[in-house]
Amino acid sequence: MAQEFHLKLITQRAGGGDPIVRERTVEKTELSIGRASSNDIVLADLSIDPQHARIRFSGPGRVNIESVSGLTFEVGGRQVQGAELNVASQPIVRFGDYSLAFEPAEDGGAGVTITREDDEHHASPSVFSLQAKVFGRRNMAWVLGSGIFLLCLAIPMIFVLFLANPKIHPDQQWSTGALSKAHAFMEKDCKSCHANAFVAVRDEQCLTCHAADPAKAPLALANAKRLGSPFEPRLISEHATHAELIKATPLPPGLGSKANVLIQRAFNHPTDRCASCHIEHTPAKAGGSADAPLTDKPKLVVVQDCESCHSELKMRLPKTGLIDTPDWSKHPGFRPLIMTEAGPTPKFQRVALDTAPQERNGLIFPHRMHLDPLGGVARQAIDLGKGAGYGAALECASCHRRDASGKNFQPVQMERDCGTCHSLAFARVGGELRNLPHGDVNKVIATLAGRTLSAPGGSDRTRPGSIRPSAFAAGGASAYRATFAPGGACYDCHTISWDGDTVRLAPVKLATKYLPRGGFDHSVPEHGGPGDAKTGAFKCADCHRAQASDRSSDVLIPDLAKCGNCHGKTTAQIAAADDADCTTCHSFHAPGQATPKPGHPPLKTLRWTEAVNRRGAGA
Amino acid sequence: MTQVGGHHTERVRQRTHEGFLRHKGFRWAQIAGLLCLVTVAVYFFVAARLAEPPSGGSWLGYILGTLSAGLIVWLAFLGVRKRVITAGHYSLKAWVSAHVYLGLSLVVLATLHTGFQFGWNVHTLAYGLMMLVIASGALGIWAYATLPQRLHGNRGETTRKQMLEALESLDKQLHDLALPLDRAGAQTVRLSLEQTELGGSFWKRLTGSYGDCANTRALKQLKALSAPADPRQAEAVEKIETVLQQKADVLGLARRQMQITAFLEGWLFVHIPATFALLAALTAHIVSVFTYW
Repeated sequence: MAQEFHLKLITQRAGGGDPIVRERTVEKTELSIGRASSNDIVLADLSIDPQHARIRFSGPGRVNIESVSGLTFEVGGRQVQGAELNVASQPIVRFGDYSLAFEPAEDGGAGVTITREDDEHHASPSVFSLQAKVFGRRNMAWVLGSGIFLLCLAIPMIFVLFLANPKIHPDQQWSTGALSKAHAFMEKDCKSCHANAFVAVRDEQCLTCHAADPAKAPLALANAKRLGSPFEPRLISEHATHAELIKATPLPPGLGSKANVLIQRAFNHPTDRCASCHIEHTPAKAGGSADAPLTDKPKLVVVQDCESCHSELKMRLPKTGLIDTPDWSKHPGFRPLIMTEAGPTPKFQRVALDTAPQERNGLIFPHRMHLDPLGGVARQAIDLGKGAGYGAALECASCHRRDASGKNFQPVQMERDCGTCHSLAFARVGGELRNLPHGDVNKVIATLAGRTLSAPGGSDRTRPGSIRPSAFAAGGASAYRATFAPGGACYDCHTISWDGDTVRLAPVKLATKYLPRGGFDHSVPEHGGPGDAKTGAFKCADCHRAQASDRSSDVLIPDLAKCGNCHGKTTAQIAAADDADCTTCHSFHAPGQATPKPGHPPLKTLRWTEAVNRRGAGA
Repeated sequence: MTQVGGHHTERVRQRTHEGFLRHKGFRWAQIAGLLCLVTVAVYFFVAARLAEPPSGGSWLGYILGTLSAGLIVWLAFLGVRKRVITAGHYSLKAWVSAHVYLGLSLVVLATLHTGFQFGWNVHTLAYGLMMLVIASGALGIWAYATLPQRLHGNRGETTRKQMLEALESLDKQLHDLALPLDRAGAQTVRLSLEQTELGGSFWKRLTGSYGDCANTRALKQLKALSAPADPRQAEAVEKIETVLQQKADVLGLARRQMQITAFLEGWLFVHIPATFALLAALTAHIVSVFTYW
């Protein structure tokens, strides 16, 4: 039986078309395979050794193939150095780009079809263009775009809309800048102010901690503590109701500003909110870094000045009793709040100062008599001597004492401020004087009830240390009646009437503030306070004409013209000249006080411990 | 500069390249310049009179912001517009001209919109991305204005297709020449045939650094091989060395083409993805501002 190899070499044409087929029969039982042209089967592939392998019949229908170069070839997908092949199973052996396909031949030999797998690919000129695969333009564009969309918008938005108390705050990246130091503790919790998405910050959020309303103030302080504020919040009053403020406020001057306000209103971003004037997330000065440490408190932006509302106010607020004050020169004269009825619930009325109003405070007190340097009061004060705190004719400070701030005066206390001269003594027990209680007529009556006293001689104008004779003038009559009768301890200062046997005292209430909407600072040197005044500081009598007043009902505050001596003048006119700004006496959020100077009170004094100490000292 | 005959096509192309910059006597440059001047004047007049520090939240800020956002979206639409071919007033050339100059004017508009307030937040991210898009676009203008001439200067009369064909033919020569060689010789030639990378990565193309080029290595290895005893093999090795050197020359030429092409196209790899990123950041900027109004 002939054992021959029938070789069939198939070459693909480069341009396509029918392949070239060459066939030959080799009458050998062993063939050499390699790149060298001396081989029986020449494989023109540089990955094949010049002498690579040999192939021979090893039995009927069987072929043995083995490497002679030590290099491998591939049979059935595996790299091998030798293999025994069953020709009937039509095995395929691969050398580099070539494949040798075996098949049984009719004569009992083996057919071998040699094919070159031509995977030549021609580079296209497009290879000159940039063609990144992973980082292609489109891939990068979509990855970057959707990544930023997710990280910067979608995820934070989910947190904002659906999570109540998240541990992380991806919405912080939306912050346009740092908060002021006062509010920095809320830096991470955007929703503490931005409570509702797509709704501008409302006043309710601010008032959570800043409401001055007595009903809400304790809660406001508690809220501030709960939110972690290191500072005691300043409680905010408004100088009129919010509804009135809104009605009273005109559109700002200028077409652009008007349009600005109207457009913002239309987009639910009204300009009358707390946040319209108190700006957060903004640098202290233009061009400053938005992340730099900012001011202690939110930046104040004055949107409307006082004059813009307090001009033609009746046009917008018909029921107002306020007189327009378009500027300092048109400031109306003072209209002090006059007590028309004293008592536990006194009644008040605004009366123009130039109508010489009379106040019904219930007290009998002639200032003139007490201040007369040649009168009996002066004589007694001199007699009392320096040891008792007098020693000369009375002056204002003999009875009126400054409060801790020095800005105002403490209310007059009868025992302290009058009692040195006006004795309340009614009995001597074991060498010690007993005083009547002051302030509650029923207590006086109860103290005197049932007493009958004998009358010793002496002067009515009796100093403390002795009992005034008139206390016993009734001579066996009740001390009760004597005390309220002329010459009695109460009679000099109180208006007394009798209802049968029952005494009636006109209630007494002294005014603490005639001008409740303005602040006056008595501690300013020019106003008579301690320190060096620029020029000729006022003395009390320059403003308060007490020396000419015979009745306590006289209202002794000066008129506005007095203020105008310095305020609104130039330094050329008077050395003590000062501005005549509304804020000098009035404030927007604390009616009755001057507007605090910028930065006052300093933030550090608002720390809880400091604030508590301060309140403690004030109390 | 006189160009005749065969250079006609080149001259036409050259004119087209500058065309979008000079379109209608710099009409869009003038419009954009005027826009910038007006906004700068208005800004410095208004900003000093604003009660609050200038920011995107003032009325001027909103106007500048709306204008800028509208411009950005319109500019991004060039990607859509360029796929549609029209002529005349709204030709692609007019559109590209407007794209370039209005895009550059955004540097002024958007910067004024910020009120010069910057921080580590999504708003400044959008601004930064916008500036990146504009900077890469400016690079693109420079590339389009200068590189096509350099591409032409580099390749001379050889077309890109011819370069590729030359490489292919050289490879075929190498293969055939190497057939008689021993294993070591064949391996060396295979290194050049199979491992040589024409272009390679983005950075390789941009920097033109092909120090590890397989063809160069093959040339070195070939020189290091001991001279074969067989005169036929020795002759082949000699020829192979010449062909490898020829291949190196063609590779150098083609790679310089690629480098210039990479410059010409590379800016788009920043411009396009940064534009998408910008559109996302811009959306986040606008939505977040109104979420936390």
